[in-house]
Amino acid sequence: MEEKQPRLTGKDQWKVLKRLLTYLAPHKKIISFALFLLILTVIGDILGPYLIKTFMDDYLTPKNFPTGPLVGLALGYVFIQLGNVVVSYFQLLKFQEIALKIIQQMRIDVFTKVHRLGMRYFDKTPAGSIVSRVTNDTEAIKDMFVSVLVGFVQSGFLVIGVYIAMFILNIKLALITTILLPILFVVIRTYRKYSSVVYQDLRERLSQLNAKLAESLQGMTMIQAFRQEDRLQDEFNEINDSHWNAGKRNIKLDSLLLRPAIDLVYALAIIMVLSYFGITSMSNIVEVGVIYAFVTYIDRFFEPINQVMQRLSIFQQAIVAASRVFKLLDEEDLAPSQKNDAHAKIEQGKIEFQNVTFSYDGKTDVLKNISFTAEPGQTVALVGHTGSGKSSIINLLMRFYEFEQGDIKIDGHSVKDFKTDEIREKVGLVLQDPFLFYGDIESNIRLHAKDMTDEEVKAAAEFVQANNFIEKLPNTYKQKVTERGSTFSSGQRQLVAFARTIATNPKILVLDEATANIDTETEVAIQSSLEKMRKGRTTIAIAHRLSTIQDAELILVLHHGEIVERGTHQELLNQKGLYHKMYLLQNSVVEEIA
Amino acid sequence: MKVFLDLGWFFKERKKQYLIGILMLMFVAFLQLLPPKIIGYVVDEISEGTLTFAFLTKWLGILAIAAIGMYILRYYWRIMIFGSAIFLARQLREQLFRHFTKMSPSFYQKKRVGDLMAHATNDLSAVQQTAGAGVLTLVDSITTGGFVIAAMAITINWKLTLIALIPLPLMAILTSYYGKLLHQRFRYAQEAFSNLNDKAQESISGVKVIKTFGQEKEDTEDFVRLSQKVVDKNIRVAKVDSLFDPTISLIVGICFFLSIVFGTRFILAGDMSIGDLFAFTSYLGLLVWPMLAFGWLFNIVERGRASYDRIRDLLDEKIEIADKVGALEQKPEGDLEFHIDEFKFPEDERLALHNVHFTLKRGETLGIVGKTGAGKTAILKLLMREFEGYTGQILYGDHPIDAYKKRSLREAIGYVPQDHFLFSTTVAGNIAFANAGATMEQIYDAAKLANIHEDILQFTDGYKTVVGERGVSLSGGQKQRISIARALMMEPELLILDDSLSAVDARTEEAILEALKEKRTDETTIITSHRLSAIQHAHQIIVMSDGTIIEKGSHEELMEIKGTYFEMYQLQQLETLVEKGGEE
Repeated sequence: MEEKQPRLTGKDQWKVLKRLLTYLAPHKKIISFALFLLILTVIGDILGPYLIKTFMDDYLTPKNFPTGPLVGLALGYVFIQLGNVVVSYFQLLKFQEIALKIIQQMRIDVFTKVHRLGMRYFDKTPAGSIVSRVTNDTEAIKDMFVSVLVGFVQSGFLVIGVYIAMFILNIKLALITTILLPILFVVIRTYRKYSSVVYQDLRERLSQLNAKLAESLQGMTMIQAFRQEDRLQDEFNEINDSHWNAGKRNIKLDSLLLRPAIDLVYALAIIMVLSYFGITSMSNIVEVGVIYAFVTYIDRFFEPINQVMQRLSIFQQAIVAASRVFKLLDEEDLAPSQKNDAHAKIEQGKIEFQNVTFSYDGKTDVLKNISFTAEPGQTVALVGHTGSGKSSIINLLMRFYEFEQGDIKIDGHSVKDFKTDEIREKVGLVLQDPFLFYGDIESNIRLHAKDMTDEEVKAAAEFVQANNFIEKLPNTYKQKVTERGSTFSSGQRQLVAFARTIATNPKILVLDEATANIDTETEVAIQSSLEKMRKGRTTIAIAHRLSTIQDAELILVLHHGEIVERGTHQELLNQKGLYHKMYLLQNSVVEEIA
Repeated sequence: MKVFLDLGWFFKERKKQYLIGILMLMFVAFLQLLPPKIIGYVVDEISEGTLTFAFLTKWLGILAIAAIGMYILRYYWRIMIFGSAIFLARQLREQLFRHFTKMSPSFYQKKRVGDLMAHATNDLSAVQQTAGAGVLTLVDSITTGGFVIAAMAITINWKLTLIALIPLPLMAILTSYYGKLLHQRFRYAQEAFSNLNDKAQESISGVKVIKTFGQEKEDTEDFVRLSQKVVDKNIRVAKVDSLFDPTISLIVGICFFLSIVFGTRFILAGDMSIGDLFAFTSYLGLLVWPMLAFGWLFNIVERGRASYDRIRDLLDEKIEIADKVGALEQKPEGDLEFHIDEFKFPEDERLALHNVHFTLKRGETLGIVGKTGAGKTAILKLLMREFEGYTGQILYGDHPIDAYKKRSLREAIGYVPQDHFLFSTTVAGNIAFANAGATMEQIYDAAKLANIHEDILQFTDGYKTVVGERGVSLSGGQKQRISIARALMMEPELLILDDSLSAVDARTEEAILEALKEKRTDETTIITSHRLSAIQHAHQIIVMSDGTIIEKGSHEELMEIKGTYFEMYQLQQLETLVEKGGEE
C-alpha cells in the first residue's frame, strides 16, 4: 500500500539531494572516466554539423569538388559518427553501472543498519515497511540516478558545447540566442513550482483512492450487512472524481509547460536565427553552412531539455524515497550495546537474576523485581498466563532489550560484560515459532556456520531425533524448505530448530516452547529430545504444557510480572495455589471447585 | 490491436473528444512540415542573395503563426485524448467498485484483497495508457510518418527520399530486436530483484533467529551476494538498453550522410536547391519519433489487452446471491425457524452443517456455543444470506428468507462480527455507520448501551476521534464495543453477536448483557460465544459440535444433563480463576 508521503520543504529536498550525492564519492575515478566519455560524445555531436558546414561553405556553394579534401571530409564525418556511437554506448553503460553500484552500496548500508537495530524497532515498525526501505525506495533512487542526474549532466555539457560552437561560428548571433536561456529557465522553474504542487496532489489523491478501495474491500461484508453500498459508492465516487480532477490539472499543466512549450521556444529560436541571417544577408554575404550549423545546434540543444523535464517527477519521487531511507539510516533505536572491555567468558553456565524490573514503554512494568538463580546444569521453568512476563525474562537474558534496573549475571559477570558473540555462541535459544528459512533442511540446521561439516549437521539432527523424519523425506537433508517452512508440520519445524541450536553446542539452553498443535507422534520425539538436550546444560524453559517441566529443579509461576509461586512440581502442587489450578485445567480434571 | 475494438464502446462514447483530438493531432503533424520548408525557402533566397525584407517577414510570420497554432493544438489534443484516457480510468474504477459492492462473501473468499487492488490499480493504468498513449502513438506514427515522407517525396525529391530512407527499416528491425532482448533480460533482472526482496523480507521476519545465532554479519554477506546479482543482471539490461540511443543516432547519421552525398549530386544536376537539402535533412530528423512510437505502440497495446481482459473477467463474475423476482419489500418480523439438513461452503468438501433444527420465538435470546469450526458462524452466515446452496429451509416470520429482498432482510439484522472491522473515520461515524443521519443523542444512547460511552469521552477528540491506522489505536475490547454500538444504532429486529464479547472483561460483559435484556424485550437476539457467561442467561442454548447440535436447552437444563456443556462450564470456571491469578 501507498505510504503517507513526508512533506519536504525546498531546503529539506536540497539536504537530501546533497546527502545522496555523497554516495558518488567512492566512485570518483570511474565517474571521471564516464564524464570524459560524455565530453567526447558532446564534442562529436558538435563536430558533425561543423564538418557539414565546412562542406557546404567551402565546396558545395562554390561548386568546387576536389577529390582529396572531400574524401578526407567524408571520412572524418564517418569516423566521428562511428566513434561517437561507440563512445556514447560505453558512456551510457558506465553511468548505469555507477548508478547500480551506488544503489547496491545504499542497500547494503540499509540492510547492515537493520541488523544493528534493536528489537524495539521491529516491534514498532511493520516488516513490510522496512523491506520497502531496503528494496523499493532504493529502486526509486536508482531511477533518478540513471534517468535524471545523468540527463542533467548531459544537457549541461551539451548546452555548454553548443554555445562554445555557436560563439566560434558567430559571436553576435550566439549572444542574441543567450536570450533563450532565461526564457527556458523561467519555463522550467514555473513548471517545477506548479508541478510539485499539482503532482503531489495527484499522488495524494491516488493514495486516498487506494486506501478507500482497500478498506472497502476488507470491510465489504460489513458494508453489505449494514446496507451501506450506495453511500460507500458515493464516497468512493467523490474521491474518484477528485482524483480525476487532479489528473486533469496535471495533464493541463504538462501540456501547458512541457513539450508544447519547449517546442514553442524552439520555434522562437529558429525565427531568431533566420531573421538574423536573413537581415545580415541583405547587406553582407552569409555562408549557408553556418545557417545549417546553427539550425542543427538549436535542434540538438532542445532534445535533452525535453527529456529532463519529462522526468522531473521521477526526481520528486526519488527525493521522497531517499528521505525515508535516510530516516532509517539515522534511526537510533539500536540493539543494546555491550561494554567496551567486555571479554568475560561463559564457562559454568550459572544464571542469576537480581531484582530485575523492566518495562517496554517506560510506563508499565512487565517485570517487577525478578530474582532467581539457576545453578549450572539445572532447569528453571517459567510458567504463567499470557502476558505474565515469561518471554520478557528471556528477551532480557538474550540481550534483545536493554534493561536499567537490577542485573542479570552469568557465571558471576553481568550480561553487559560479555561480547555479544560470546552470548550468542554459548546461549542457545529455541524460539516459540521455529522460523525456517528458504533453502533446504541442511542449510536450516547449519545456518551461516560454513565450517560446520555434514557429519556435524547429521549428528545434531540425530541427537534431537529429527533424523527420523528427515531421512524419510525424498531428498533427506537436501529437501527444499519453502517460505517459512510451510510444508512442514510445526512439530517438524520445532525439531529442525532444536537441531540448529544443538549444532552450536551451547552451554546454556533457553527454550520457548511451541504452543501450536503438535501431533502426538512428534510430541513424543520432542519430549525425549528436550530431555537429552537439557542434560549437562543450564536451561531456562518457558513451558505451556506443564507436563514437560515436571522434573525441573525450580519452577517459577509468574503473574502480572511478578513471581507469585516458586518450588518444584511436587511442592507447588502441595501448595494448592495457582500452579495447582493450572495443572488441573491442563489435565481437564473437572472437580468441584472449592 | 484487438484491444482498440474491445474499447470501442468507450471510443464511441467519447466520439467527439477522440475525433477532435485525432484531427488536431493530424493537423499538428501537418503544421510540423512547415518549419523545415520555411528554413529551406529562406536559405535559398539567402544563398542566391535575393532575400527581401517582405519575403522574410512573410515566411517568418507564417512560421510564428504555425508555432503558436501548434502550441494551442498540442495543448488541446492532449486534453482531449489524455483527458479521455483518465476519464476511462475513472469510469472503470467506478464500475469495478460498484461490482465489488455486489459480490457475495464467497467471492471475497476466493480472491485476495491484494489481487483485487492490483486489478484496480495496475491493470487500470495499463488500460488508461492504451486509451491515451496507445491512441497517440498509433495516430502519430501513421500521420507524422506518412506526412513527412510524403512531403519529402512530393515537394522535394522522391529519388532522394528513397535513397535516404533505405537505412530506416534497419532501425525498426534493430530496435525491435533490442526490445525482445531487453524484455528477456529485464525479466531476469526482475527475478533477481524479487529474490533480493524475498531475502530482505525473510531476514526481517526472522530477525530474532538471526540475532539468536549472532549471524548478522553472515546474513549481511548473503544479502551482499544477492545484491551483487541484482547489479549483474541489471548491467546485462544496461548493455542492451544503452544500444538504443547510439543505434538510432548511427542510422540517422547514415541517412544524413546519404542525403548530403546524393543531395549534392541532385543539386549539381539542378534537380533541387540547397534550401531543399536543408528542408530534407530537417524532415529526416522528424522521422525518428514516428519510428520509435511504432515500436512503443505494440508494447502498450499488448499490455493493455492483457489488463483489459483481466478487468473484464472480473466484471463478468456472476453475482451469486441475487434477489428473486417479486421478492418482498417488507422487513421480516416474527419467529425464526431454522431447518438445515445439509450445508457445505463452496469449494469445501466437508459438511459445515447437518441436521440443525431450532425455532426461536420473537423476543427470545438464543445462545450458540461450541469449538472453533463447530458451525456457529455458518448458522449466522446462512441467516444473513451470505451463503446459499443448503438443503432445508429457513423461515423468518411467515416466509423463507430468500422470499425477502436482501436489503429488507439485512434491514432487520444488526450484525456484530467476530473480527471487529472499523472504518477509518470518526468514532461517531463508525457508530452511525448504518444511519448517517443520526443525531448525537442517538449515538450516545447506543454507545451507552454498549458500555463504551465513558471510554469514548476519554479519547483526545471524544466522539470526533479518528479510528484506524492513522488515528487512535483502540484495544480489542473497545473495538468490539463500538461494533456493538454500531449494530444497536439500527434498533434491529434481530441482533447477532458473533463471539463479539470475547475481548471485554467479565464485568463489562455482564453490564452489556444486562442492558440488552432490559432494552430488547420484543426483539430477537442471537449470541455465539466461547465463553459461557455470555450466553448463560439465554432462553435457549444450543451446543454445536462438528456441524450439528449435540445439546439443546436452557442453562439449568444443560447443567442437569452433565454433558459437554457441563464440562465446558467447569473448565471455564477454573480458567477464570487462573486468569485472575488464583485468587477468588
